[in-house]
Order: sequence, then structure tokens, then C-alpha cells
Amino acid sequence: MSKNPLLETAQNAIKIALAKGAKEAAARAYTVRDVEVRWRDGKVEKVQEATTKGLGLQLYADGRYSSVTTSDLRPEAVEKFIADSLAMTKVLTVDPFRSLPDPELYKGQAAIDLLLEDPKYADITAPARRQITRDLEAAARNVPGSSAILSVTTSFNDTLAESVRVHSNGFTGSRRDTSFWAGTEVSVKDSDGRRPEDYSFAGSRFFSSLPAITATGAEASRRALSRLGAKKGETAVLTMAVESRSAGRLMSTLLGPLSGASIQQKRSFLEGKTGTQIGSPLLTISDDPLIPKGFGSRLFDGEGLAAKVLPVFDQGVLKNYFIDTYYGKKLKAAPTTGGVSNLSWKLGTKGQEELLLDMKDGILVTGFLGGNSNGTTGDFSLGVQGFRVRGGAIGEPVSEMNISGNHLEFWKRLAAVGNDPYPYSTLRTPTLVFEGVQFAGL
Amino acid sequence: MTRRKLIGLGTAAAAGLVLPDALLTTGEALAKPAGATPGIGYFGRFGVTEKLIRDTLSAAMSRGGDFADIFFQHRVANSFGLEDGAVNRAFSAVQLGVGVRVVKGDQTGYGFTEDLSPASLKKAAETAAAIAEGPAQPLAKKFRVESKGASRYPVKVRWDEIAPAKKLPFLTGLNERVFSADSRVKKVNVYFADESSVVLIADSTGRMVEDFQPMTSLGLSCVAEANGKKEQNGYNVASRGDLAYYSQERLDRIVREAVSRTMILFDAEPAPAGEMPVVLGAGASGILLHEAIGHGMEADFNRKNVSIYSDKIGKPVAKPFVNIVDEGTLEGARGALNVDDEGNPVGKTMLVEKGVLTTYLHDTISAKHYKVKPTGNGRRESYQHTPMPRMRATYMLPGPHKKDEIIASVKKGLFCTNFSNGQVQIGAGDFTFYVKNGFLIEDGKLTKPIKDVNIIGNGPKVLEMIDMVADDLVIDEGGWTCGKDGQSVPVSQGIPTVRVSSITVGGRGAKG
Repeated sequence: MSKNPLLETAQNAIKIALAKGAKEAAARAYTVRDVEVRWRDGKVEKVQEATTKGLGLQLYADGRYSSVTTSDLRPEAVEKFIADSLAMTKVLTVDPFRSLPDPELYKGQAAIDLLLEDPKYADITAPARRQITRDLEAAARNVPGSSAILSVTTSFNDTLAESVRVHSNGFTGSRRDTSFWAGTEVSVKDSDGRRPEDYSFAGSRFFSSLPAITATGAEASRRALSRLGAKKGETAVLTMAVESRSAGRLMSTLLGPLSGASIQQKRSFLEGKTGTQIGSPLLTISDDPLIPKGFGSRLFDGEGLAAKVLPVFDQGVLKNYFIDTYYGKKLKAAPTTGGVSNLSWKLGTKGQEELLLDMKDGILVTGFLGGNSNGTTGDFSLGVQGFRVRGGAIGEPVSEMNISGNHLEFWKRLAAVGNDPYPYSTLRTPTLVFEGVQFAGL
Repeated sequence: MTRRKLIGLGTAAAAGLVLPDALLTTGEALAKPAGATPGIGYFGRFGVTEKLIRDTLSAAMSRGGDFADIFFQHRVANSFGLEDGAVNRAFSAVQLGVGVRVVKGDQTGYGFTEDLSPASLKKAAETAAAIAEGPAQPLAKKFRVESKGASRYPVKVRWDEIAPAKKLPFLTGLNERVFSADSRVKKVNVYFADESSVVLIADSTGRMVEDFQPMTSLGLSCVAEANGKKEQNGYNVASRGDLAYYSQERLDRIVREAVSRTMILFDAEPAPAGEMPVVLGAGASGILLHEAIGHGMEADFNRKNVSIYSDKIGKPVAKPFVNIVDEGTLEGARGALNVDDEGNPVGKTMLVEKGVLTTYLHDTISAKHYKVKPTGNGRRESYQHTPMPRMRATYMLPGPHKKDEIIASVKKGLFCTNFSNGQVQIGAGDFTFYVKNGFLIEDGKLTKPIKDVNIIGNGPKVLEMIDMVADDLVIDEGGWTCGKDGQSVPVSQGIPTVRVSSITVGGRGAKG
């Protein structure tokens, strides 16, 4: 049996780095094969297909650290690349906190199949890809009110990613995964000259489990058409429901402040807050790397640490940060993991429709536009669009509005959590309802 | 599938992380052109010959494409980071690769590879060729090497010729100066990045052009603590220049701005909520133009009929004193280019002239669609991507008013000075930009500082509401990066002080 070429590339890089004077090194070699077909208004717009490859290295030399990548894998180029990288590393200041992880933390990988690779990946043909994009458009145009549609763009994308990670202190790990994504974007013409757009997409690790293509195509049109006549609403403090798909934007603003780097560099409003109440008792979230077929699932993290479930919030109380080896040493804390895999939420019992009935009056947010969150203070301000909700029913569309607040108050006003985690994001947010949210508009 | 159009600063203060992904030196020295083959020069060292290019383009045109091009790129990016008082991390990224594109009408086939062997290039070409179905089309008989004219990149000593150790004093010097500037400073992060990218573009019409594209940036972020409160802010600069770009005056400004922008936050309050007049300070407020009109004028959206500006060419969209430009010729600017990523010459394009919508931003495909000359806006992130119309340096020309007069004209409103990011919806026209620093205007005077507020408006509506423009145009020196369809490109922006008579401020204080 021939040796895995990626393993060979990574092992060779480690060998060169050590021979040239590195004390320790980590290498990751990868290839990604990616095919994308884009279709617009009755014909193929673009076909792109390529297999990309590369090598990434973390070098630890004379107590100094660098992280480097290259796509030039010619043997003589790799040799020179590593030599030059080490020369550059040597001009740095010694950093006593830099080292590869403790090998003990490599141990204990879950003995499960995460089901990340579709064995039938190679069976997909070029005509089949085109047919999917064509079907998506047909579905998008087959909805009530479709005469307002200006343009439909659809896409299908499939990826096979392979990588091997080797550390000089005894870690070797490899993974292969596949993913398939189908997307539709629809622009519609409004009576005032605006051309509102919306999109839908669906993805899966296995081609056979992609949801019915037609459903996602029609969803994009329904969403875009529902934006017709959108107007700015009044500036007011209101209850806000955020649909599951959009709620990931809110959650993402918490991730930076939860990182070890932010905590140690004093750029987090969550510094010193473990064990304290940050959110309402409804906020229970853990990081779960072991969800079968998950987009963020993994048996080991980006540093080779065996992946484990990590409680983040328990009934609103902050339990853990995302801490890697380096910031763990700086903080004198045990490393957890350097980054998010999949989030797993403690779900409620109701879907969006029932939650709106309970909410009665407010705004349902179905999209965010720009804005930002100050991770140091927790202040945030985000553009929103959505629908006015009255008597528990979805009313007129609103746009060009904004919400603002401070995370330390905001998450305590989390009043309901849906039963509907969004499956196409690693953040897997359900519908969320917040009371007393400042909206700006007219 | 993302069709997001947005912009952000390298040190987007709120995002927390200071280091950009692309970083430091090594790999193939980016030194002297090999000079063996006229036109190919630099890439000769990787075995690229005119025959290889011709064979690849022939394969690309073998199935009847209208047009094909090949884009070689070698990019070496380096950076150093300072944290907790020491320059203790270095980053380097080397990208070597080539992309082959075939265009048939408005359809595109694309393949790329990191392996510059004839077999691998042929495979990429055949992948791209499959977009067309027909008889092979001929190439131009000879390649003509295009002259780029004067370089807009003021580089005397190339980055690859500068010893890494020479860059370190910038970081340590800034760190010391920020700590000594104010005792409330608790943490300082500094990064220094430089990049050298060489591109070679050849196409089926026989054009061949090579360009050497440098870039550098320096950014500083600091966290201060006082009375149990923490605040963080920063400042960064970017240019296509060399080491000489970092003048003492510029370094002084980085320290001064980073510290003052942070310390004023201790006194700042949340902005009010609701519609009000907003005055945008000269310089970085050009983010308004990038989002409110720039993206919507990119011709791909217009030829597809999905931009809010799709039917507005030749129509008045703003007051007669409003003139908006996108140009690639500002020497040393982050958004400057000698040629675009399709090899087209780069000039100055009027988006709005005397208040009238004038010209879209074109790549080759859209220029052909509209039967106009390309405007030199065809750009791509790297050889892994197809070009599309993108902005370069987008700004507004000076107008008839004075800054003081504009501020004095506002009874209750906002004056915005610093920004981190923005975003736009191309079709609906709604856009946002996020304000890091500003002031309330009360009875024509700047009063309390405000912070962290998003502003949201609708492009065409806001253009109409720009009712005062000052004579103090500033092109911002910040390291802005524009994102579209998953591709990032460096851009610049600028504006004189302007007044928007009414726009929604996403604050939470009582309405002014």
C-alpha cells in the first residue's frame, strides 16, 4: 500500500524543520477539491473546479514562534521556505509561553465515526450538478407572485477536503470530509424601484441527505417576495424574536469575547465572569464537537487536542472560555479548545409560530445588516430587517432599522428559546426571543 | 452561498483580533526579473515560457470560448506581531498558483492549480474550456507586451530586500510610546505586515502584462482601564509604498490617534436612536460612498438587473455639487493599481458627475455587455478566483461649503469621525456603517463624545440627502478591505466633510 502523500508531506516538513534547528514543530498538509456550478436565469453562469493544496507549519525554535503557510510544494521550495521561516523566527523575542500542547491532551479521542465523508462523493457528475441548479431555479419561479421576480441565481457546490496533522511531540491525525451545498438567490422588483433580494441554502455532509431541492429554491422566492413594500418602523423599545437562521449573527458576537486571547488581552467584557450569571436561565449552550455529520464536528481540534463536549453557558451562568495552549499558559488555565466546533443549545418546546403567538407584539428579525459589537465593553449595534408582529401574527415587512444594547443586559432578557436549531450553521441557533430591545428607525 | 458586500478595517476594533491572516517573508526571493523571455520576466524562474502560455490558452479555447486568459501569481506576505511588550510572533504566507478562465458571452469557466507543470495547466484549461461547446477558436498570432506606464507604487527598496530585523523597531517603538503616553494603557498590540505579489496576465487576444504589487500595513490597538472600566480602540495605516512610507510624522499620528481614540471612550455615551442629521468628518467617512453607491455601481449587478442603480444612468441622483469618483491612480494608495487583474489599464471613473449618475465600474464581461471600454475595475483576490467589478479608491470631490459652517448648521445631530466596517444590500439599497467615535452636535456645536453606533440608510435616498459638502477632501490612510462574493481586495476611500440631512442612527440614548 502506498503511503498517504499528505502524511509524507507533513512528516517531511517536520523532519526538515527539526534538522534545520527547530526544537518542536507542527505541520498540516491538505488538499481540497471543490466544484461550483452557478446558474442564472436559464443558463449556466459559471463553472469552477480545482484541487488546491498547501502546507502549514508552526515552528518553535530557540524559544521563539512563527506560523507559516505555503502553496509551493516543490521539494526545493519547501526546503528553502522552512529555512527562511526559521531565519525569520530567530529575530523574534523569546516567548516562554510557546510550545506544542501537552501530549497527554492528545489522548482520549472519542471512538466514534463522525460520518463526515460521503463514500459516494465521486459519483456526482457534471450534468447532475447542472440539473440541480436548473431545478432550483424552476422551483424558485414556481411560487405565487413570481411575476415580480427579476433574477434568480442558483448554485451547487461539492467539496472533498483531506488533511493530515503531524506534531513533533507525538501527534498524528488525519481527516477526510465531504460537503454539498445548494443555494438560491432571488431579486424582486418593488413598486418604488427597490430590488429586494433574499436567499436560501441547504447543505449536508452526504449528498443523499440534502433536503428536497425544490423546497430550498421556493424558500428564496418566498423570502424575497415577502420583502416587497418594506418600510422603516418607529424608534421604540419592543420585544424581538430572531428567526433561527439569523440568530447565529447574534451568537457570533459572543464568540470573540469568549476566546482565551481576548480574556488575556483584556479585550473581553466576559473577563473574570466565569461562574456568574450572564444570560437568563434559558441560556444553556455547550460546544459539541462530536455531533455526527456536523459541519463543525471533529475528533481533535486545531492543536491536536482530543475533542470533548465543553459547557459554555449553563442556565445563564458562564462556565468556560475557549482557551488554546498558548493563552492557557498565559492565563495559568487548563486549555479547553482554541475554537468553536458545533454549538448545542438546550432547546425549548415551541417553534417560531407558537413563539410569535406568545410574544403577541414586537418585531420578528429575519436578517441583519452590518453593525458590530464591541467585545471589550459588550456594547453592540446591528442593522436589522424583518416583520412587525401584531396579535401574534406576522404583519408588514420592516427594513432600514437597527437594534442596540449591551450584552451583559441583553442576554438576561432572553425570554424564550425555540425547538428549531438551524441545521446549516455550526452555531445551530434556535429561534430566540428577547424582551425590551431598543429599535431605531423613524 | 454568500453575496455579501462589506468593508472592514484590518484592526476592526470590535473584532478583537489584531493580526491579519496574511503575513511574513520567505520562499522564493522576489528579486530581480529573470529577463530571459520578453514579457514573462519574473515567472521564467518557475519554468513559465511563452510556449507554455500559448499551449494553455489554446487548450482553453479548444471548445469555442470567446476569450480566455491566464493569471499567474506569486505572493509572499509577512508579518510580525507584538503582544505583552515583545515582538514574539511571525507569520508568513506564500501563494504560488495559476488560474485559467474561459468566457463565452456572460458565462465563465474557471480552473486553477498550484502546480505549474504543463500537464496541470492543460487540465485547468480543459476544465475552464468546458463552459463552451463548439469548434476551437484561434489565439492571436503574437503576444504583445503591454506597457504599464509610470508605476503607482512608490517602492525604492523592495520588501524582500529588507532584513526582517529592520522592521522590529517600528513595533517596539510604538509599544513604548503608547504606554508612556497614558498611564491608563494596560495592553498594546501592534502588527507590521508587508506583501509582495507578482502577477502575469496573458490572454487570447495576445495581451501580456506583468505587474509587481507591493503592500504594507501597520496597526496598533490598545486597551485602557480606569475606574473599573475598560476601553479599546486603535489605528492603522496601509500603502503600496516601502519602508519610507513610515515617516516619523506618520508614526506619531498612529500613536496619537490610537491613544486619543481610546481615551475619549471613557467619557463617551451611547448615541441617540432614530432619524437625525449626521455630519461625516473628512476621510474615513468615505465608507458612506463605498456602501451607499460604490457597490451598487459595480456593473455585474447592473447587467443582471439586480442593483438599485440598474436604471439610473444619466439621471440626477444627488445635488449638483456632488461628484463621486473611483480611481486606481492615486500613487501609493492601498487601492492603487497599475493594471487590473484582467490586465486592463486603470484610470479614473466618474460614478456621479455634477449630481448625475455617470458610469458603472466595469470588468471585461460587463464592458462587452454595455459596449463600452473596460474601466480597469476587474479585480480578484488571487489566482483561486475569477475577476469581477470591484472598487479601487472611492471618494467624493470637494464641494462649496466649509466644515465649520456645516457643523454650525445642525441643531441636534451627530458628527462621526472613525469607523470600523460597513455593509450593503445591492438591490434593496439599504446600507450600514459602524461608527467607533463621534460627537453629539447640539446647537451647532460639538458636545459629548459618543461611541459604538451603527448607522443605517438607503443608498439613493441618502445620496439625495447629502445637502452640504465641504472643501476639505481627505483620502483615508487606513487599511480597508472590501469583501464581495467571498473575495477580499484592498481598497481606499475618502470624502470631504459632508452633511446628510436625515438618516437613522442605531443608538439607544434618548432621541436628540
